Amino acid sequence: MFKSMAKKFLELVLFFLILSFVSFCLLKLVPGDPVRSILRVDDVAVSNQQITDMRSQLGLDQPLPVQYGKWLVQLLQFDFGQSYLTHRPVFTEFMEKLPYTLLLTGGSLFIMLLIALPLGTMAALYRNRWIDSASRVFALIGSSIPSFWLGLLFIEWFAVKLRILPSMGEGTAFHLVLPSLTLGLAMAAVYVRMIRASLIESSGQDFIKAAQARGISPIRIFFRHMLRHSLVPLITVFSESIGSLLGGTVVIEVLFAYPGLGKWIVDAIAARDYPIIQGYTVFMAVFIVCINILVELSYRWVNPEIALKEKRLS
Amino acid sequence: MFKRSYFKLFIPAVMAVMMVACASSPSASPSPSAAPQDKSVTLLFNVQSPTIDPHSDVNYTAVRAGVSETLIKVNKDLKLEAWLADKWNSKDGQHWTFNIRSGVNFHSGKAVNAAAVKASLERALKLNPSVKNALHIRDIHADGQILTITTDKPFPEFVSELVHPNTAIIDTTVTGDLPSGTGPFKVTSFRAGSELNLDRNKQYWNGEVKLKHAKFMFNEDANARQLAFQAKTADIVYRPPLESLELLKADSTVKVDSLPSLRTHQLIYNMNNNDLKKTAVRKAFDNLINRDEIASGIMSGQGTPAQGPFLPDFPFSPEYITKKFDLNAAREGFKQAGYTVQNGKVAAPDGKPLQLTLLTYQSRAELPLISQLIQANAKELGITIDIRQVDNIDEYLAAHQDWDLATYSSITAPRGDASYFLNAAYMPEGALNYGRVHVPELTSMISQLNTTVNEEQRNKLALKAVTLIDQENLQSFLVHPNNVVAYRDYVHNWVTSQSEYYLLTQDLDVN
Repeated sequence: MFKSMAKKFLELVLFFLILSFVSFCLLKLVPGDPVRSILRVDDVAVSNQQITDMRSQLGLDQPLPVQYGKWLVQLLQFDFGQSYLTHRPVFTEFMEKLPYTLLLTGGSLFIMLLIALPLGTMAALYRNRWIDSASRVFALIGSSIPSFWLGLLFIEWFAVKLRILPSMGEGTAFHLVLPSLTLGLAMAAVYVRMIRASLIESSGQDFIKAAQARGISPIRIFFRHMLRHSLVPLITVFSESIGSLLGGTVVIEVLFAYPGLGKWIVDAIAARDYPIIQGYTVFMAVFIVCINILVELSYRWVNPEIALKEKRLS
Repeated sequence: MFKRSYFKLFIPAVMAVMMVACASSPSASPSPSAAPQDKSVTLLFNVQSPTIDPHSDVNYTAVRAGVSETLIKVNKDLKLEAWLADKWNSKDGQHWTFNIRSGVNFHSGKAVNAAAVKASLERALKLNPSVKNALHIRDIHADGQILTITTDKPFPEFVSELVHPNTAIIDTTVTGDLPSGTGPFKVTSFRAGSELNLDRNKQYWNGEVKLKHAKFMFNEDANARQLAFQAKTADIVYRPPLESLELLKADSTVKVDSLPSLRTHQLIYNMNNNDLKKTAVRKAFDNLINRDEIASGIMSGQGTPAQGPFLPDFPFSPEYITKKFDLNAAREGFKQAGYTVQNGKVAAPDGKPLQLTLLTYQSRAELPLISQLIQANAKELGITIDIRQVDNIDEYLAAHQDWDLATYSSITAPRGDASYFLNAAYMPEGALNYGRVHVPELTSMISQLNTTVNEEQRNKLALKAVTLIDQENLQSFLVHPNNVVAYRDYVHNWVTSQSEYYLLTQDLDVN
């Protein structure tokens, strides 16, 4: 147990080192640097010499391994550095944005499940009937509509015409409704068809037929066997969705003036704010790794056969 | 039976959730203007601020929202005006004395004296390299209300640089994320990138503040801003989408302000290009630019054709001969420059047709369209223009030389002084001198300007420099885009400032 945990830990450390180094190198390979943004060349008279001096002051003229080494030493002291532009600690800024992104992620997934689960299930159970056709149309439209346009449409309906929801900003649960609905609907369009396909595949399994033959109630069959069996592929995609949502949804954040991670990182990339970009990469890597571990654990719960197979192999 | 069970399970569940969601509808966005005794206003701005610290915020929100103030400000005529400093003087442009206004307190209650101003300026210098570069301060000395500053060289435009919002004066003894300034509004809360909530500063030094509360919100999407304005989430909206202006003007409860900004869209010529380094060629090329079409068509009437880098009402703007779009004049110009013109098409002296590469970028949506217009007009003369869009124009222009023309946009006189733009764009070492302009006569004029203290003489020198830029056609100046602001008719005393530094003021009021 201890051995396997230690091995896992070493693997993770190696993964982070490789990831941080590769991202660091890629970042530096992109033309340009933050110096012009820092010195505000568009607003203050700056000479090329001052640009060169600033570059040197920030250590941007040093060899790449030296720059990376310095950053890594800082990181080992849990110091993610300061933003070049706001001069605030990267960790502080990240922690300010994270709750908003988590809320938006949770809200979007909730809306998605609320729509996709019943609609996908009905489409699977009533194959080739009107509800299946309706789900197909919904999936087609939902995945075709650009989310920014859908967002604007929702603002028009709910904020301008009906005046029942705020059009932008954050602070209350109501501020979360429109951005969550915009994101959730787009995701639901994809999941409806996936749930349908997965349930159809499960319903044809021998163990479902056996359960029906034993006279087990349909609801019990559905929850205990059919749904559980269908969850494995869905959980995989679900984890990817969580990852991309946590990565931020820039368009939605801009549209609803929602202060999440997406806009934060895009602005940082535009300004070449290296400390933020590197810090964000590390944070997101941790998140994604954690999500993947949880997903792996959930497989065992959803499908005990997986755990059994692993046992037999070990 | 099997399937009916599912309906039994799902339909009520979904309906229950929907009912819960709809039952507790929020109170719609509160009406922006509440009862008279509780006057408030909400302004929706087009760029978000990640910080409210006036010394590092590139969006200047603390000054724009009336939280902090600078020693000197620019008034609506773009002239320098006393603010926290009521007097200043310098004999040599290097040793400056400022008299700090008495009777001014920070929001924290602490009195503003020269020592507090010194501490604030030192913080700005330490925190913000751009401020350090802009101010050239060698040392600061404080004595009561007298502040003495020595710059590291004669620096006559020092006073105008103190207008910069990043030099705003705050109480440095106050810790935390919310600044304690001297302005008409105190910060009650700030959510980065989302909103800033403000309360009236009852002890404001300059008289009564009309509003009790104010909110400064951010949204970078023009359509979303427009909808928020329609939803009455905001009373004042900065830069609504141009395509919605007719709709806004049609609404009798809305007022629309539109005036030329200090920004100028330009066409930069690469002086390393063998054709474009000739003045006659640049002048001929300038005739291909249809400024009226740019202003009225591409900018939907929300732009003013530019004759030079600065707005015409600046004292350093010469009387220009209006530049006109004229294909025949362009042909004639090329002919005089030694180019051949056959069947209306221009060819270089060696017989080769002219081929140029024009760089543009997307972050200002009108620039690619302007590029296409220039491309189409040039085609009439047989000049081929290859348009290339780049991601970061500043980075590209600074690092590459594989271009001939470039569209660019900058605020040319942000603090009412010509020297910033002249130094940045025309001095050989200037960070905005992307076209590699090097005209010794102009360099010497700007150098002289940099050591001249007397304002009248400075304006004369700047005028000479701008006249030379025009004569040499070192750049083509295209259009001054307008600042557009829409606000409800119950908002009073709104002033659209050309400098864009002062938005929420003590005089702003609502019915």
